[in-house]
Amino acid sequence: MIRWIAFGILFLVWGCQSVSNKKTEEVLNQPWEKIEKAARGSTVNLMMWTGDPLINAYMQDFVVPEVKKRFGIDLKIASGQGNLIVQALLAEIQAGKTESELDLLWINGETFYQLRQIDALFGPWTDKLPNAQYIDFSNPFIAKDFQQPVDGFECPWGNVQMALIYNSQYVPNPPQNRQALAAFLKEHPGKFTFDNQFTGMTFLKSMLMDVAGGAQNLAGDFDEKKYATYSAQLWTYLKSLKPYLWREGKTFPENVSVMHQLFASGELWFTMSNNDNEVDNKVSQGLFPSTSRAYVWDSGLIQNTHYQGIPKLSTNKVGAMTVVNFLISPAAQFRKQNAAVWGDGLVLDVNKLPAKWQTEFQQLPKRKYVPARAELNAKALPELAPEYMIRLSEDFRKNIIEQ
Amino acid sequence: MFRRASLLVYLLLCIVPLLLGLGYVLAYSFGLIGLLNHGFTTAHWRAVLLDKTFWQSLGYSLYIALACMSIVVVVSAALLAGFRKNLTQGFLSAFIYLPLTLPAIVAAFVCFQLWSKSGLISRMVYQVGWIANLDQFPEWINDAWGLGIIFTHTFMATPFFTLLFLQVYEREKIQRLEQLAFTLGATPRQAWLKVTAPILWRKSFFSILLYLVFVMGAYETPLLLGRQSPEMIAPLIIRKLQKFNLLDMPQAYVISAAYLLLLMGFGGLVFSKIKTRMA
Amino acid sequence: MKKTLLFPAILLAFIFGFPLLFLLLLSFGQQWPYPSILPLHWSEETWQKIAWEKRIGNGLGLSLLISLSVGSIASILSLLLAKAVAYSPNQRWWLGGAYLLYLVSPVVLAASWQFYFLRLGWAGQPLGVWLAQFFITLPFGVIFFNSFWNEQQRSLEHLVATLGGTPWQTFWRVSFPLARGPLLICFFQSFLISWFEYGLTALIGVGKVQTLPLMVYQFIGEANIFYAALASCLLLIPPLLLLWFNRRFVFIER
Repeated sequence: MIRWIAFGILFLVWGCQSVSNKKTEEVLNQPWEKIEKAARGSTVNLMMWTGDPLINAYMQDFVVPEVKKRFGIDLKIASGQGNLIVQALLAEIQAGKTESELDLLWINGETFYQLRQIDALFGPWTDKLPNAQYIDFSNPFIAKDFQQPVDGFECPWGNVQMALIYNSQYVPNPPQNRQALAAFLKEHPGKFTFDNQFTGMTFLKSMLMDVAGGAQNLAGDFDEKKYATYSAQLWTYLKSLKPYLWREGKTFPENVSVMHQLFASGELWFTMSNNDNEVDNKVSQGLFPSTSRAYVWDSGLIQNTHYQGIPKLSTNKVGAMTVVNFLISPAAQFRKQNAAVWGDGLVLDVNKLPAKWQTEFQQLPKRKYVPARAELNAKALPELAPEYMIRLSEDFRKNIIEQ
Repeated sequence: MFRRASLLVYLLLCIVPLLLGLGYVLAYSFGLIGLLNHGFTTAHWRAVLLDKTFWQSLGYSLYIALACMSIVVVVSAALLAGFRKNLTQGFLSAFIYLPLTLPAIVAAFVCFQLWSKSGLISRMVYQVGWIANLDQFPEWINDAWGLGIIFTHTFMATPFFTLLFLQVYEREKIQRLEQLAFTLGATPRQAWLKVTAPILWRKSFFSILLYLVFVMGAYETPLLLGRQSPEMIAPLIIRKLQKFNLLDMPQAYVISAAYLLLLMGFGGLVFSKIKTRMA
Repeated sequence: MKKTLLFPAILLAFIFGFPLLFLLLLSFGQQWPYPSILPLHWSEETWQKIAWEKRIGNGLGLSLLISLSVGSIASILSLLLAKAVAYSPNQRWWLGGAYLLYLVSPVVLAASWQFYFLRLGWAGQPLGVWLAQFFITLPFGVIFFNSFWNEQQRSLEHLVATLGGTPWQTFWRVSFPLARGPLLICFFQSFLISWFEYGLTALIGVGKVQTLPLMVYQFIGEANIFYAALASCLLLIPPLLLLWFNRRFVFIER
């Protein structure tokens, strides 16, 4: 009897696999009109982070009904952050699936790198999109993701600049570089920290570039020798800073959300965000005090882009491409950039747009608590090769947390 | 016949999913499966077992769980001693259930908002004038001793064990035994220490042990209320499983397997001890 | 009640009830800078933004459907299975398996099951999520009912049998009425396990099976504590209502 069951299970687990593989790659040879037509009546499963009601409202109240109306597509939104996306696709590939549960993914550099590592993304496809002509691919911050050319494997959706946020009530003149930060913290200990996740590590990367004497010195592939030299200097600096950090640097906020909470209550005078618009967003939610301001310090902070990607095993690539083409349309990007709606940075080159849209974009309400993006761009730093983040995160543990 | 069929269903629905899961974990830990693995290797096991992180994390988890359960047992017994009547009737009997419906993540959130340096308690103490600014408020969250984690789990477990003790008290008819002790000349204190407490302890020992293991595996609470180092076992596993370095994934499976094996060994030991003591 | 105990009892009740009150208060708050004890502004905006969304209603419905059915079916089935296990000569080994399941880190368990569910084509579907939740609640029930099928119960069954009762009658007329109290408790606990399940639902459901926890859990981890408080309230209301209607869910009243 037991043997029967064992056989049954073996059969179930290794025996039955779906073998139908629709050759969706063929779609890439078709003209765009045919792609849009083929997408009509289909369902697109988009997995994205759903932790912000403003973003959820933008998707549910604007994007979902619009793509239904314009293209007859049912856009379904699945909740999941970067690591869930990676785990879901990884498991599908491991299980030998030929059809993915997902058709579209909202990803950023870290996830993009991991998905490329496991070869889970479909592409290149972005040059098929008619609206891709407006994308500012000449901007290296958009065309390159973690020093890797995106090569049409993901479509830019929003561009954001990392910014430090401070409470101007307590900090009239925020520090503009590492030395000034150290001096400031010696006078006001415990009011600054960074988190142990993506945002904090991005901050460390920015400082590493500063230590290295500029972004150009770390450009390109990972360089072990350079990393060893410059990271050692970075740890020396951070060790000298440690006693003056929040909780004497013995612990760090586990993620940026916790750091925002500590900032909102006044326990911290600083927080930081990968999105320069976040301060406007959080003040308008009534979370941050209205004396909050964001800035990019003189030694520069990283600017990066987040993207839409299509899983290699997606069964509805035509639908996914149609949705993305709408997401990067001037109308959708215009709405998204408004801080009252979401406040996500533009990936389009306004100068390339039809004249009507150019004037529309110029009339967008100005953001209140952070300088205009054009003023910040001079201080923008590029992302480094992904290995830098992995190594910094591990060595930060060894050299700072566990000390 | 009916019993054999039931056992078969049990096998299919409980044991098989478990074994399939364990098989996957072991295979992954030895590099047999996994997209970024390249065939059989003991390298992941060596990496985990020879590194102090795993052992530290194990010790820290055990410390948190022991500290928590010691408090829970004492407090629950005290509540039973002091409020036995109120626990079965009246308003207290309605309120004591409430923490049972709190999931760990919500409990951790509330604990953070209450006890952190800028939390509600700190604000009250400030308004009373005991501290001049929030930096003077003691470190109860993200502290070296894991006080926040212990507090949260104590809060969630105390009602559970108070109710458990109450049930044991009634089922084992302890009240009659106590009265017997009184007639034999025992003081209330003696009766409690020599009669009530030993019975409660022995009858709920297994549940206490189980809850101990449950606290050891806590994830959300140490993540929000603990420090990055030392780290409890579940956050360590998830860090290896989901953080930036995909090549760390097999280590997550090694840690879960090693943790499981250690607990099984320990469980076997306890069982055999109980058996010999009973024999 | 003795006068001396009244005040401590009130204090205790307050301590146990406070978190819920606190969450409810925070969910209506806006801006809470140190050192003010209460938030600076009050508004029902957060509720409007999150709780009245249409998809929240759908999620609530789906979650209730899954958790109520998982809870009831798992507890009834586990009552039957626990009997076979408890009366088996190899009880210790059978039961050991059920315990073992709870020693595996839930996320690791979910990751391993995900593999098999994908193979079987159950991932991303409500049925898959239902089964996964069923697989973790059933062993709980078996452990729970193990002590129910004790010596006393067995001798009672023998007695009925000697008096001429059929096995069916024994179960339906004797064991089942006795099990009613424990069944309610087991149902409620299984319901809770299923209701608060996040990791397994997210992985097996590939984020597509949108239960209420899946939708609101992300708010709890986010920067806005008022959203987090509201999300917590949404999660807590259904189990609290169940508890309100039937306090016997948590223990047997005699």
